[in-house]
Amino acid sequence: MISLRRVWTVAERDIRMFLRYKFLLIMRAIWFIAQIALFGLIVNSMFRTDVQNAVGGSYFNYYAAGIIVTMLYSTAVFIGYDIYEEADHGVIEYLLSVPVSRKELVLGRSIGGGLRSFLYVGPMMLFVLYLIGVSSVLQLLAALLSLFLFTFGVSGFSITLAVSIKSSDRFDILMGVTDALIVRLSTTLYPIAYMPQYYAGIALINPLTFAADLFRWGAGIESAAITPPLLAAFGIVAFFSMFTFLGIFLHERRLEGGGWQ
Amino acid sequence: MPPVIRILNLTKKFGNLTAVDHLNLDVEEGEILGLLGPNGAGKTTTLLMLTTVIKPTEGTAFIGPYDVTREPDEARKLIGMAFQEPKLLWVDAPWDILNWHAKVCGLSAEERKKKVRWVLEELELWNERFKSVHTFSGGMRKRVEIAKIFIQRPKVAIVDEPTAQIDVVGKHRIWNMLRDMRDEGSTILLATNELHEADVLSDRVAIMHRGKLLVCDKPKKLKDSIPGGDVVEITLEKGITDEMLEKLREIKRVVNVLAIKQNYLKIYLNNAEEVLPKITEFFMKMQLSIKSIRMSEPSLDDVFAHYTGLTIEEAQR
Repeated sequence: MISLRRVWTVAERDIRMFLRYKFLLIMRAIWFIAQIALFGLIVNSMFRTDVQNAVGGSYFNYYAAGIIVTMLYSTAVFIGYDIYEEADHGVIEYLLSVPVSRKELVLGRSIGGGLRSFLYVGPMMLFVLYLIGVSSVLQLLAALLSLFLFTFGVSGFSITLAVSIKSSDRFDILMGVTDALIVRLSTTLYPIAYMPQYYAGIALINPLTFAADLFRWGAGIESAAITPPLLAAFGIVAFFSMFTFLGIFLHERRLEGGGWQ
Repeated sequence: MPPVIRILNLTKKFGNLTAVDHLNLDVEEGEILGLLGPNGAGKTTTLLMLTTVIKPTEGTAFIGPYDVTREPDEARKLIGMAFQEPKLLWVDAPWDILNWHAKVCGLSAEERKKKVRWVLEELELWNERFKSVHTFSGGMRKRVEIAKIFIQRPKVAIVDEPTAQIDVVGKHRIWNMLRDMRDEGSTILLATNELHEADVLSDRVAIMHRGKLLVCDKPKKLKDSIPGGDVVEITLEKGITDEMLEKLREIKRVVNVLAIKQNYLKIYLNNAEEVLPKITEFFMKMQLSIKSIRMSEPSLDDVFAHYTGLTIEEAQR
């Protein structure tokens, strides 16, 4: 039986850890400002009215919502890097020895990794919502709830890759490539309607597409280019469930089988 | 009473290397069992299997009633481990490390506050409680590691070289704290390379070599098990004859007698405290006055060397 107290204790540790990476947090905040204040504004001025209308009236709003989701993604995957730091210092063995079940450990780490990313991106999200202007609070709350699950799923995904690869260099390279593919083959930066058919197929099942479109729906952006919210929410739940399960499975098979090495 | 740790045919293979080879061992409730062995004997691998950090290739172990391979979650609730290498991140401070450990072990906020303070003061880390462990010496980090056990006070405490790198005063303090824990009902499995530590702390000592258990008994019995392990050195007023030497060798439990000089003898025997009166009586009968007498028991070093076939220097290599 899963104890919520133990899950939260594990999650809380990861949240505290994240706050100590001051350099990373400052750099990510600068990246966000550059994306919104430079790239977003400039690219927005390049698009014709028909393009703006296709994405709900303003490409800037569409893009800003997408950037929030990429921020959530890129900060939630950071838990994988934590796992390598912990492996170097032997902390993984310690975590495997404490009176917490593997399910509680992986669930706690997924939640901790997701929640800390949500807390960090929260102020930026509020700023973007202020720029877009929220039309329905209920709709927004439903979207935020799904985004919570999305960040937990991304953390689970990162944990799964980290424990599968067991090499920080390879993980770093893989995350760079994954980031390039998963962000660009999604609707975070542009709608599916403008993608070639063979790219669109992948974007349709990409969890970033589900998250970005749900956030846009929650923020009140109305466009035919946005994935239906129920379908997107279902996709996020499936993504979260799959990687939490895989994370638990791999913790048991890959780590306990013979330790980290 | 059933043993609190029961190890049954426990085996761990890493590729072609057999780190632990069909190990069988029982640890009784409320005892300190010292696990000795040279580097690479399989001590740490055994402890990691008991704490469910790694899975055995074959065999199993029971912690209380729980099988570590089938009920690891339940087994972990009874165990606490202080690792050989302190498991700390460079950004951590002792207060946060211990407070989190106490929390994950289920202590309430009030208990945590009290126990974390107590252990930090006991181990002289109170003034450094908010400093990053990055700035700590090896001995200080080791104290943070062992502190986890003293807060948790598990039913089964597993400590891997608990006082390595710690100064003499600190060592004695930790030994006393481990004894207190044992007296309060914890069972302690102590893996160490320090034979003196095993000798002063352990109720029983198990010696491992190349993944196998060679022997397990009380330190006194192990020392007595070495043939001629006790040595009595006697200096006489006058020289001894060959005939008297032969008679001396015939005394029960005397294993060998060496006449280093005519009046200086080295007698190898078992249970010296029982045989010594007979030896002094023998010299009185022979009208040989004893000028000086010195008795030495075998140490665990001798026991270790006897069972592993290695000197301490060889074992450390």
